[in-house]
Amino acid sequence: MNNFEVLIKTDRLTKIYASGRIQVVALKEVSLFLEKGKFMAVTGSSGSGKSTLLNLLGGLDTPTSGTVEVNGKKVSDMNKEELALYRRYGVGMIFQSFNLISSRTAIENVELPLVFSGIFKKERSRRAEDMLEKVGLYPRRYHRPSELSGGEQQRVAIARALINLPQVLLADEPTGNLDSLTSSQIVKLLAALNQDQGLTVVMVSHEEALTREFANQIVHLHDGQVLR
Amino acid sequence: MRLSDYVQFSFSNLWKMKLRTFLTTFGVTIGIGALVSMISFGKGIQKNITDNFKALELFNSITVFPSSSLFQSLNPDQDERRKVRQKGGKTNAILDEKAVLEIAKLKGVEEVFPDIRFPAIVRFNGEEELRLVQVLPSKIASSKLIKLRFGRSYSSDDEDSLIISNSLLRQLEIKDESSALGKRIEISSIAFDFSSLNPLEFPSFLKGEKLPFSRESYEFIIIGVTESMAFGGPSPIQSDIFIPPGRAQRIKKLPFTNLWDLFRAKEGKLGYSALNVRLSSPKFVDSVKSKIKEMGFETFALIDQLKEIRASFLYMNMILAAVGMIAIFVASLGIINTMVMSIMERYSEIGIMKAVGAGDKDIKKVFFFESSSIGFMGGVFGLGLGWLVSRLINRIVNYFLAKQGVPFIEYFNFPWWLCLGAVLFAVFVSLLSGIYPALRAARVDPVVALRHD
Repeated sequence: MNNFEVLIKTDRLTKIYASGRIQVVALKEVSLFLEKGKFMAVTGSSGSGKSTLLNLLGGLDTPTSGTVEVNGKKVSDMNKEELALYRRYGVGMIFQSFNLISSRTAIENVELPLVFSGIFKKERSRRAEDMLEKVGLYPRRYHRPSELSGGEQQRVAIARALINLPQVLLADEPTGNLDSLTSSQIVKLLAALNQDQGLTVVMVSHEEALTREFANQIVHLHDGQVLR
Repeated sequence: MRLSDYVQFSFSNLWKMKLRTFLTTFGVTIGIGALVSMISFGKGIQKNITDNFKALELFNSITVFPSSSLFQSLNPDQDERRKVRQKGGKTNAILDEKAVLEIAKLKGVEEVFPDIRFPAIVRFNGEEELRLVQVLPSKIASSKLIKLRFGRSYSSDDEDSLIISNSLLRQLEIKDESSALGKRIEISSIAFDFSSLNPLEFPSFLKGEKLPFSRESYEFIIIGVTESMAFGGPSPIQSDIFIPPGRAQRIKKLPFTNLWDLFRAKEGKLGYSALNVRLSSPKFVDSVKSKIKEMGFETFALIDQLKEIRASFLYMNMILAAVGMIAIFVASLGIINTMVMSIMERYSEIGIMKAVGAGDKDIKKVFFFESSSIGFMGGVFGLGLGWLVSRLINRIVNYFLAKQGVPFIEYFNFPWWLCLGAVLFAVFVSLLSGIYPALRAARVDPVVALRHD
């Protein structure tokens, strides 16, 4: 299959944080693109702008200048409402600290994006159970995050990120809080999703070694700029 | 988001912080309880009075006064009087039998009877009390203007019998009012001796000597006991003793009940001090009033005061409501506090919801649902609390008033709109209280919130 469709494209993407008089340039004119179904690894030391790039791709943050285009849509031009819909259907995100709601069970956490879509409880549960099955956590669906291990929590987060079947999964240091064995399991899971289901993955990690095996494309960031 | 999800979200959140939810809801409960019992008290009093007025047909009665020079100077409605005079009205007309007959002929007039009261000493069972005795025609005495508790009304104007109020009997140390029926009672009238009215003797009057009064006693039989009126309103129902006119004519008595009468007596034009006119319907009030004014008399109709009565009830209700509002205001501060605390605690949760696709509107609605749930529960419980408190107060007040012979009265009134309005108002106030917290929650920056641990 000819599959050279560009899914993610950034053009001179810049983000400057201003706190008082001090301006911090987190990202400086980053231009890159990623084809559909590929696995991109973004590496760099802490403070290099990896997370900022991911937040901009995920529509959590808005750029100071430059553009982000995902699946033909200009994310950088979206208003708040459109960004919420983009985050709901267009991308899935997972984080270093899992970001699960502690008071809700695994299945309730996975269902959460569907709640905002206005889907009935029964349908939500069915889809969430399917998704938990895929990440191997079906038997633990009624456990709360505190009753799950770090790896299990990250699997729940992956299930939640994919519940609305987005084309892109953005992973921000997904293994940062995990031991090396669990880390490689999570990365393998992401790689499997990428290879088996054609999910486009952008994974931020400061451990380049972890992603080298699976990544089609590696971007090094340093002080907010891309190193080639 | 579906409605059921908003409800589930808000209740699970409120349940998570049970104690705080309880305390905040309790604040609203007290506020709404105070407001509800205050308003229902205002409404209850109003209902009692207006119902009583209607039952007594006070809205189709007119009181007629003679036009005395004193009354004239006290009457603020000078212009109207001048107009009457210019039309050829007699300003010094006397309220006598002729006037009674004339007024009785007017269209819509059902009954005219003079308002005669005189002070007398009532002696019964060895006890004495000074009271105003009211002369009431048998027709009126047996109408629904007089509410009897025991016995009957006199059937003719010439009976030697009278009707007494149960509260006077109590003051005369009679515990069982019905036992007084058929007993003899002595009325001692105080008559004014004009012949002895000499200005030179004034100093001795002041010392209590040579008073120009004479005292004569008359015997009556008690045949009826009236029910006390808690919200009696004006004449003719307020007196403690009613006697028929036939007998009254033969009693030597002080013909006045107020100072103006004394002056009129000196002028030698002695008519009735007032006439009570009863109409078949309130719609005749205006026409009859103007005709009576043309005859040269002053009139007073309670229905004219209705607007002012309503306005004064409105003021009373507003003051009562204001007291309740203070409690509501304090409760709403409690809601704001609880909600803001809740946002602080759920900062990262809000960030997560936003990251997985919740819009600002969804977040706002979640918080509005939460605050209005507090309001709804507070409203419902507050209504219950207000009701309980009103039952309690009603019992206590009636218990003490019953000792004074006042019949059971419902002091509180809970119309349907008050019940519904209380709950809706509680929800409305809590929605208002939720505005700031909801806006604040919607403003949460997911990037910051997700970094926040």
